[in-house]
Amino acid sequence: MRIFQYLSALSLLASAGHLIAAGKIFPYPYVQEELPNGLRLITVPTDYPNIVSLYIVVGAGSRNEVEPGKTGFAHLFEHLMFRGTAEYPPEKYTATLKTAGAASNAFTSSDLTAFHTTFSKEDLPTVLSMEADRFQHLDYTEAAFKTETLAVLGEYNKNSANPSEQLYETLRSTGFKVHTYSHTTMGFLKDVQAMPEGYLYSREFFSRYYRPEYTTIIVAGDIDPKRVRALIDERWGNWKRGSYKAQIPAEPPQDGPRRAHVDWPSETMPLITVAWRGPAYSDDTMETVALDAIAHLGYDQNSPLYQKLVVEEQKVESMGAEAPGNLDPEFFQVNAHVKDAKDLASVEAQFKATAQAFADKPVEPAKLEALKQHQRYDFALQLDNSESIAATVASYVALRRTPETMNRYYDMYAKLTAADIQRAAKKYLIDKNLDVVTLTTKDGAK
Amino acid sequence: MTRLIVYSVVAAVASVAAVHAEPRVVELQGKSPLVTIRLVFTTGAASDPADKPGLASLTAQMLGNAGTKTLTYKQITDALYPMATGIYAYSDKEMTTFVGQTHIDNLEKFYAIMRDAVLNPGWRPEDFTRVRDDQVNALRVSLRGNNDEELGKEVLYNVIYSGHPYGHQDMGTVSALQKLTVADLQAFHHQHYTQANLIIGLAGGYPAGFAARVKKDFATLPEGPADSFTLPQPATLTHNQAMLVEKDTRSVAWSLGFPVALKRGDPDFAALLVAESWLGQHRESGGDLYNRMRELRGLNYGDYAYIEYFPNGMYQFEPDPNIARHQQIFQIWIRPVEPPNAVFALRLAIFELDKLVKHGISGDDFEKTRSFLSKYVNILTKTKSAELGYAIDSAYYGMPEYNQYLKTSLAKLTVDDVNRAVKKYLHADNLQIVGIAKDAAAMKAALVSAATTPIHYNSPKPQDILDEDKTVESWPLNLKPDDVKIVPVASVFEN
Repeated sequence: MRIFQYLSALSLLASAGHLIAAGKIFPYPYVQEELPNGLRLITVPTDYPNIVSLYIVVGAGSRNEVEPGKTGFAHLFEHLMFRGTAEYPPEKYTATLKTAGAASNAFTSSDLTAFHTTFSKEDLPTVLSMEADRFQHLDYTEAAFKTETLAVLGEYNKNSANPSEQLYETLRSTGFKVHTYSHTTMGFLKDVQAMPEGYLYSREFFSRYYRPEYTTIIVAGDIDPKRVRALIDERWGNWKRGSYKAQIPAEPPQDGPRRAHVDWPSETMPLITVAWRGPAYSDDTMETVALDAIAHLGYDQNSPLYQKLVVEEQKVESMGAEAPGNLDPEFFQVNAHVKDAKDLASVEAQFKATAQAFADKPVEPAKLEALKQHQRYDFALQLDNSESIAATVASYVALRRTPETMNRYYDMYAKLTAADIQRAAKKYLIDKNLDVVTLTTKDGAK
Repeated sequence: MTRLIVYSVVAAVASVAAVHAEPRVVELQGKSPLVTIRLVFTTGAASDPADKPGLASLTAQMLGNAGTKTLTYKQITDALYPMATGIYAYSDKEMTTFVGQTHIDNLEKFYAIMRDAVLNPGWRPEDFTRVRDDQVNALRVSLRGNNDEELGKEVLYNVIYSGHPYGHQDMGTVSALQKLTVADLQAFHHQHYTQANLIIGLAGGYPAGFAARVKKDFATLPEGPADSFTLPQPATLTHNQAMLVEKDTRSVAWSLGFPVALKRGDPDFAALLVAESWLGQHRESGGDLYNRMRELRGLNYGDYAYIEYFPNGMYQFEPDPNIARHQQIFQIWIRPVEPPNAVFALRLAIFELDKLVKHGISGDDFEKTRSFLSKYVNILTKTKSAELGYAIDSAYYGMPEYNQYLKTSLAKLTVDDVNRAVKKYLHADNLQIVGIAKDAAAMKAALVSAATTPIHYNSPKPQDILDEDKTVESWPLNLKPDDVKIVPVASVFEN
């Protein structure tokens, strides 16, 4: 197995040079299987003892919220999944996890909802069985549903104290008018407040998406893949396939720059996001990795712009960029906390000029090489326990339903050229695709 | 289990000084290609001079986020970039930590930078200005402006430890930070970054001889002395008190608590940990507060309890190690509540605490919670970096390795031990309460009023919950107008 070769090579490291730079990026052998009902299983034995981490990824997130007034339902559903079944009412579910010493939680993003549990290996059959039960037989009353909608409102409330959340909400509604990326995972406040009346819709949502063909189970840690498969067959094999396919409206091409501003009610540092509409995630073209390279080379801590704005002039407290990596086209965005609102315009201009420079001239080979090395070490440093390994796999599985996409993505990175970067900048980082959102303390706020 | 030796607070810290004149080394050598280096100095905000709160923290940030004698900050950033790593500096009351993780391919290059960051800082004025601005903004913007919940928790600590060496936020105050100079930082570095204060931690597949080399490098620091924290007992309240921070925000965040004379390694630690976990295990759905407040009543996003300091709980499921303290508080964290139900939520949390104190936990709950904690400790130490951090904390507290210590202590516990510890250490009166609220005057009026504060539901509830609500809505808060102080948010952490 490759993992043993990898570890036994350690003693030779001094002479081996940059071992990390060779071969596939994901060092663990994994088994990918599909059950007849469409459920996909990925097992990853790791070298970390005793612990097992289970991620169940449902390929439905806020992107799937296609009906008006129903934003936030994928996330609400993440909550409802803890509301129990006939066999495992919530108290029994919680008590079982408690006895197992399991750390359990869930999260929702634009493209996925993930349920994760990390526990001791002897509890694997119990946990897999209990999870199978709730995915197939979830049952909750309207009263329980209504109570849970209040916990979601509570989550909205705790997020709302952070101006970055408001900035992001505004960016999405500015940049997207048709596609469901126009709202965040939390949903619009008015929809969150109206959730208590959505009981029947919630049952419909479950029936559409909580189906084997939407679901991928990842089990990483101290495991035997054959034994896991047998448990999955036994507990998840009878889960019925569904037929629903969401019609996600395509966003028409942007027709020119857009701009929005948020007045924040209390003291905060001015915030700015400069964003361009980018492409969807791809592991078979250079576009995703090329834009990712621009995000790093243009705006990371060692970039000339960061050094100028943060370290030398000290006009910006923090900044960074993020490349698009979603199922559908999303933003390439640059964010900054600016110390004084009078510098917002200048920071915006410099963010744009930096993007333009990638279109105008090729990047220096040494810088591209340093970035490639950074990316590979960064990936390796993430994989320091079974939970991180499962979480990393889960983040890619939402995009292509296979860990192999990680290897393909980093393979593309290895092949990336200065010309690829220039092409991506010319195609996407242009005024026509631009969305700028600023946030400052409103006049008179204390 | 080996009987644990119980030190008094001052003696425990002093013992570190007496025994260790050179750096101690904690090693977890293994096969992993990832190497973690933790350099922990047993100094922190409790060693800040009275007129310079924030000095320990700013010194740490100046070492971790600035140039060295030979390299500028830009050169360090450029050198670290291909390795995809960095030096993360943080400091608490009694510990200041520098942690870095590198792939073994880059160990030598990374270590050289980390070593010089701590031993040979550059002290450049332009770095100082940037790092100090960052710290001022962390107080004013990140904590005070953007995060009601962490703000409430930190204000709670400040109020409980008022007049005590723990009595200021680790990052200090805005006015003190603005008066600090590079010379202040250099003096702190010279005085407190000593061999006697240093614990070197190494984990992963580093080569033979590496640990000895690190120890030798750091033997160039002044030998001593070790910090000796003379910690008075924090004031005990004789009745409930509240502080309301007035801020324009959607909902109300509460934190409440009191000092608890118990720390990790003490004989009752495991017993009280069971009670804490039962009442409100951090970010897990099994706790009593979570169940009664969120699951049954939909009051908010979650409610938890603590017997050790746990900063950044909003973002982390597991606490950072190396924030060891010889004094702790018991704390309840109530996540933001819609204003109409805010006082009910506060009353319910106190009501649940009162139930725990009066009735203890059942044998069945004890068994489940003990089982949880015995296994959950494996998750706390799931990374080598965390395991190393816990090992360093154990060295500081003078106790065995945490994972085994906890499992052994839990195995010996009985439900009676837990309920005796609850009676001894916890109480549902004499509480310090902190609230972040938009209309503080109205909130104060509600807190001191004799009027009931019923909860409003959007769905039918079982009769037993409705009956319980009748008790909760008038649960005595025992607050008089003089017991409730209001401060504008703009004044918090200023002076």
